[in-house]
Amino acid sequence: MLEELAHHILDVARNSLEAGATRVEIVVEEDPAGDLLRFSVVDNGSGIPPYVQRHLTNPFFTTKSGKKVGLGLPFLQAAVERCGGNLEIKSEVGRGTKVTATFPYYCWDRPPLGDMPRTIVSLLAGNGHLNLCYRHIFQGQSFKMDTAEIRSRLKGIPLDAPEVLLWLRQYLEENLDILFGGGDHEVARRAG
Amino acid sequence: MKSLAELDKLREKLQDEMRLREGREDVKVVVTMGTCGIASGAREVLTAILEEVSKRGLKGVTVTQTGCAGLCHCEPLVEIERPGRDKVIYGHVDEKKAREIVVSHLVNGQIIKEWIIK
Repeated sequence: MLEELAHHILDVARNSLEAGATRVEIVVEEDPAGDLLRFSVVDNGSGIPPYVQRHLTNPFFTTKSGKKVGLGLPFLQAAVERCGGNLEIKSEVGRGTKVTATFPYYCWDRPPLGDMPRTIVSLLAGNGHLNLCYRHIFQGQSFKMDTAEIRSRLKGIPLDAPEVLLWLRQYLEENLDILFGGGDHEVARRAG
Repeated sequence: MKSLAELDKLREKLQDEMRLREGREDVKVVVTMGTCGIASGAREVLTAILEEVSKRGLKGVTVTQTGCAGLCHCEPLVEIERPGRDKVIYGHVDEKKAREIVVSHLVNGQIIKEWIIK
């Protein structure tokens, strides 16, 4: 099982990479007042053929040779169903895929959002050329990171050099803290 | 507080180091990150490796990722590929083991035989 929504996001975005995506956009939207937590992963990968789309949440279906199961999306579907949320997957062959998962914000069974900076940084390891855009919206305020902007400052130094990725992780942590209003947000928000 | 302007300093430092290393082949550290890997802690292992590599000031190490390797029962897996040597695969790696692998295998050149699966 995947313990954090950030793990699910990593898992879905890994599918994008497997589908040959060169651009991935991750949006996380938290709206406690509206009792909503939604994330989406949009890519420009190869897209999912219709015959595969019918089986996306079937754990015993996979497109990979030599394997009998494909658990990523079924796990996400189960997490969504446990809280009465919704999972939507739209895809077009040759254009790309959009996965959107919607959860109620206040629900005991909802996995915590978890460590988004770690997810973003892990996704970029070995993928320094990926165009990754990450937007996080909390109570209407938003923070945005775009690897294109970071790369333009690095001038040829690989984005996925360990030092750069660690810098990026800290940068994201600090900016999310500011977005959440500082302090230990997950505890505070849960208590609310 | 981190700002994008800070990246300029980091870039200059890394540019100097890269010039010194030019032409030499990197050691590759590969973390498998299929669903099986992610569920058993591959993300945590990968970031621990990044931290340890950076803390030890190791140069010429590429940390990268791949999909499921079909050894789901041994996840998280860490593969180490040194140019001209056989690939070494460590299984059931956690954050602590990952840091030890960096120190022992990458810094001291000592393979940790007990953790190898292949």
